Amino acid sequence: MAAYLGVPVEISSNDPEHLTFLEAAGRGELAMQRCVNCARLRYPVGNACPFCTSLESEWSVVSGRGVIYSYEVVTQAIHPAYRSRTPYPLVLVELDEQRQVPGPDDGVRIIGTLIDADGGPESEERVGIGLRVRVKFVPLGDGLALPAFSLTDEAPEVRAWRLGETRPPSAQ
Amino acid sequence: MRARLNTIHRAKEGTWPALRDKYAIVGIGQTEFSRDSGRTTRTLAVESVRMAMVDAGLQASEVDGMMSYSMNDSTASPVVAGDLGIRLNFYMDVSGGGSTIEALVGLAMGAIEAGMCQTVVIFRGMNGYTQNRIGGTGRQSPAFTGPMLDQAIHGMNSAAQSFAPSFMRYLYEHGVTSEQVAHVKVAHSKHASNNPKAYYPQRVTVDDVLSSRWVAKPLHLLDCCVETDNGSALIVTSADRARGLRQTPALVMGVAGRVNKLGAGYHWPFGPISRVAGYYAAPIVFGQAGIGPDDVNITGSYDAFTFTTVLQLEAYGFCGEGEGGDYVSSGIIELGGARPNNTSGGHLCEGYTHGIALVAENVRQLRRQADDYCPDWRAGAHTYDYREHGCRQVRDPEVTMNLGWASPATGSALILRRP
Repeated sequence: MAAYLGVPVEISSNDPEHLTFLEAAGRGELAMQRCVNCARLRYPVGNACPFCTSLESEWSVVSGRGVIYSYEVVTQAIHPAYRSRTPYPLVLVELDEQRQVPGPDDGVRIIGTLIDADGGPESEERVGIGLRVRVKFVPLGDGLALPAFSLTDEAPEVRAWRLGETRPPSAQ
Repeated sequence: MRARLNTIHRAKEGTWPALRDKYAIVGIGQTEFSRDSGRTTRTLAVESVRMAMVDAGLQASEVDGMMSYSMNDSTASPVVAGDLGIRLNFYMDVSGGGSTIEALVGLAMGAIEAGMCQTVVIFRGMNGYTQNRIGGTGRQSPAFTGPMLDQAIHGMNSAAQSFAPSFMRYLYEHGVTSEQVAHVKVAHSKHASNNPKAYYPQRVTVDDVLSSRWVAKPLHLLDCCVETDNGSALIVTSADRARGLRQTPALVMGVAGRVNKLGAGYHWPFGPISRVAGYYAAPIVFGQAGIGPDDVNITGSYDAFTFTTVLQLEAYGFCGEGEGGDYVSSGIIELGGARPNNTSGGHLCEGYTHGIALVAENVRQLRRQADDYCPDWRAGAHTYDYREHGCRQVRDPEVTMNLGWASPATGSALILRRP
């Protein structure tokens, strides 16, 4: 049975969208629904296009590359399964695909953990808004995997910003 | 400096129904805030409803509507009404936490306007510490399934964890500092020190906030509200009926209920993520009331976290976009300031009952009945000396506003005035 940090992952039989997503991740692919009508990507999985209401979608594999749009560092776990992992950084990653669409502040954004080369939580000193990341996949069993992210050696888009810095860089 | 949001301009002339000043909150009741209530949510609800009835001067036969909200952690209206011998013509128990109370005040007005009933009591009874801890501590999911696979599975399980990326992005976008935000806790702790009911009546400093342990960066422990057991209730009826009752009514000028940003279940794709739902609620509630932020004397900006107060005050136009840090650290939000916020001490210090206590506090302020350390507060006699263990009453407030928060993507608002 698929599980993450010892907690079972249960995909109900009437939820083929999540199954397809996690199966693709099991193959090392970050897959998203693309609207057949307006061609926009959406995340997370959903039953209609939030931009045109079309019910028709097809699966599209994306690059899995993007930039840290925001983050946090969890130091007090709530779910017991995460206690051994604190402190762990959670990142909101804006993918390279479909940035600033449909509005200037919109994009395809995924929540995930930021992990190091060994799969453990990345050191919090290394996290920052503006840093480039790429997707990694954490096996869940049963051929499924969960997306996570790791830092790349690409130059950041803007000077990276971390909590405690008094002024942000000029973001735009 | 960016221009202040012109919320009046955003509201369309003539769009809003003419219910302004036609309904009122006429009774409030609250049990103590504690971490050991020693009684069921049924008991807390019954006690608070009865206190609200006594406060208003209403008999059981004069209450015929009941509403409540919970997160599957409370007692249903028919049980509470039955205990008190109230025969209901209408009841509705809804699922919801923060930002529900403002919406229910509006729905109670709707039920009365539709002729379904005449007087509605709304309650929230919760053992938020001894039973279902609202911060999530001690709860765990037996399995990850459905929408939990999008967010919770990654280790984003509590309100603090779910909101933190919005707060972090806010600091980044606007150059606001943790120190500025900490002033919300400092201000509310001053207010709590003049509130005998407050669970945390001690005054704290900015350094106390910044040196408290991290929960989920950028949130320190003292950026987060308190968990408590409490029952609270409000009574809504028409302004006509209110005239014959015991207390000065708090007239409803405008209400906006559970207004959403796009994608409220997973709002991250739709930005700016630091812009909260109040941005969309503001033109509705100010449009109904026919006033703007400058006309409000007291705010009750939901303080599940210090940041929620800041982001909402900005969204409703009490300051310009990105100016929330300056606003909350200027002294404006403190007793004695131009527009105090959460004069009870709020969720950060007084206690936590999902927002209903913040509405009750504004009703007290409009009546001039802040239950502070002034000996004759019941008679409206106050010293206006805001030093510790002193007065909590704002001088002659005419208009108050509650800014309810469920998440960055869902919020409500309620404007009240003195007749």
